[in-house]
Amino acid sequence: MSAARRFLTRWLALSRKEVIHIVRDVQVVYMALGMPVVLLILFGYAVSFDLERLPIGVVDQDGTPASRHLTEAMTAGDAFEVRERLSDASELESRFRQGKLKAGLVIPEGYGRKLARGTVSESQILLDGADGTTAGIALGYAMGMSQAESRRMLESSGLAPELAIQDRVRLRFNPGMKSAWFIVPGLIAMILSIMAVMLTALTVAREWERGSMEQLFSTPVGRLEVILGKLAPYVVLGMVQVLLVVTMGTVLFGVPVRGSLWLLFGAALLFLVGMLGQGLFISVATRNQQVATQIGFVTSMLPTLLLSGFMFPVANMPVPLQVLSAVIPSRYFIVVLRGVLLKGNGVDVLWPELMALAVFALVMIGLSSARFKRRLD
Amino acid sequence: MAVAPPNPEHAPAVLEARAIHKSFGRMKAVCGLELAVHAGEIYGLVGPDGAGKTTSIRVLAGLMGADAGEARVDGKDPMRDRVAVRERIGYMPQQYSLYGDLTIDENLAFFADMFCLPEKEYRERADRLLALTRLERFRSRRADALSGGMYKKLALSCSLLHRPRLLLLDEPTNGVDPVSRREFWDLLGEFTHEGMAVLISTPYMDEAARCHRVGLMHHGRMLVEGRPGELVRGFPHSVLRAVGGDREGLTARLGVHPRVLALSPAGSRVRVVVERGGEAEVRALISEQGATCEGAVPDFEDLFLARLREEES
Ligand SMILES: Nc1ncnc2c1ncn2[C@@H]1O[C@H](COP(=O)(O)OP(=O)(O)OP(=O)(O)O)[C@@H](O)[C@H]1O
Ligand SMILES: [Mg+2]
Repeated sequence: MSAARRFLTRWLALSRKEVIHIVRDVQVVYMALGMPVVLLILFGYAVSFDLERLPIGVVDQDGTPASRHLTEAMTAGDAFEVRERLSDASELESRFRQGKLKAGLVIPEGYGRKLARGTVSESQILLDGADGTTAGIALGYAMGMSQAESRRMLESSGLAPELAIQDRVRLRFNPGMKSAWFIVPGLIAMILSIMAVMLTALTVAREWERGSMEQLFSTPVGRLEVILGKLAPYVVLGMVQVLLVVTMGTVLFGVPVRGSLWLLFGAALLFLVGMLGQGLFISVATRNQQVATQIGFVTSMLPTLLLSGFMFPVANMPVPLQVLSAVIPSRYFIVVLRGVLLKGNGVDVLWPELMALAVFALVMIGLSSARFKRRLD
Repeated sequence: MAVAPPNPEHAPAVLEARAIHKSFGRMKAVCGLELAVHAGEIYGLVGPDGAGKTTSIRVLAGLMGADAGEARVDGKDPMRDRVAVRERIGYMPQQYSLYGDLTIDENLAFFADMFCLPEKEYRERADRLLALTRLERFRSRRADALSGGMYKKLALSCSLLHRPRLLLLDEPTNGVDPVSRREFWDLLGEFTHEGMAVLISTPYMDEAARCHRVGLMHHGRMLVEGRPGELVRGFPHSVLRAVGGDREGLTARLGVHPRVLALSPAGSRVRVVVERGGEAEVRALISEQGATCEGAVPDFEDLFLARLREEES
């Protein structure tokens, strides 16, 4: 038998054995297919940054057509919903305390009159600042809407609009500023990396703990064969997960697929091999299932959450963290996901990220088989 | 019974070990192991817990590097010539090492693939091994659902698939019932006929008697080595069997007697190994305790217990 035939024979046998381990341990199957679904739903809805129907109280002390117009404009979108109409601004405070309202719009008396005279008229927006994130986003909405409203009025009154800076901001790729579009690609990367690392973190350590490694190492098997044999079944399982989460992302959260799915799956394959390799490396190095699980979880979830650009843009990080993020594969995978899904980017744009993913995968497999000692001492 | 070829020591040595040392930190697990096992020979490595049997076998299998000394399997170094050596050895570790969630057939097929056996050869070999071990009926049973004895026979079969030149067995019959133990040894006899060399470690003295040669290990050192029959015949001390009397008082007194080398209660009797020349003295002591006493033929256990005792004092 040629060396290549021997390699293939052993690789295949090791993969087949690993598949048997997986399918006979129903828990692994449940975990592999159930967890991504649960995580995506949980995080997808919980981490949503969208403001939908934030309860607002309106104190209209002016009562003119102009003030009614402002109220309508403010609450035209889905962001605010008029929950109460109050007569005095002081009542807002107690509603905030009770949590009944998150925002208030106060239009003082004389608003319409000043407007008609062409002088500056004021309205007041109050926000419950206890929930900083919500307040920040609400503020953004409110400012945007009042600016749009004043520009509209300036234009209709023919008052020199060209004097002001005309910033016509248009959001490309995600015009509705839907946070799901932004979050789901990051979530996909996070879920896949946690799952991949955790699945393989256990495999080698389990063989050490159960004693089968000693028997295996007394045969002529090579370490690359063992590593690849362990990898192959999990790559297949991982690709099923990719299919699952991408489908859910588009169906549940309406994330578009503007680019090539083949490119997406190709990138996912590279990413998976890298993360599975990371899990294997941890398993090989620790030889202990419990330690491997803990290290696996921390090294897959935290970097993806904090350093990959999922939550916080890489460009805003302190330089040392930016450097660190360069070796986090999720960073590149998220760029590819957002690129393919939202922007319809192709290989011409994404090749540096694809290269980075491929390098990481190769390094991880190389490291785990180098670190994999066929010795018991 | 393992029937010895006329003189396996004259066959070529399949396994040789010279002055092997291995320590774990300050613990010297193996000190200067010298060993040769020839084709067709069963060599028994006997010793109490922690004697260094497992460590020796692992070093010889190339699973651990020795600190000093050299090992040769068919003239090849297990650490440097890993693949060649691994193709020549069959190894059965002390602890459970097969895949519990795989069936008998799946385990066999897996290990056959690790040795890249051609399909046809694997089928023939597996069928023969399963017939010999009488495991045929259980082919689709998972390994972790087998009894202890069946599991060991499966492990033996897995290590024999590729017709190794050298078989390394680490306490293969530990925790197995006596009937299965006998079966196991009969199987071994079959395979040594084919010229395979076997190194087997065991804590059971009766098993030592079934080997062509045995070595007694203690604290990493080889204390005695030889053919079982010759060793027993050359035993210089005598053995007494004391019956009746006050057993507790008897064992207490004998236990501290300077000429008593070993003491083992066996049912209602106490077996006593007495240093040469001390027999009269000890007989007198036994009668004093109201027990009767008779001479017995020394066996292996006596020999080893006495030797361990001499070593410790
Ligand atoms: N991997 C290891 N690390 C540290 N110490 C070890 C290791 N393996 C064995 N030892 C120590 O070396 C000594 C010899 O152990 P070894 O397992 O070789 O004995 P043994 O004769 O096989 O005993 P047993 O009958 O218990 O199997 C023991 O004291 C043991 O504690
Ligand atoms: Mg042992």
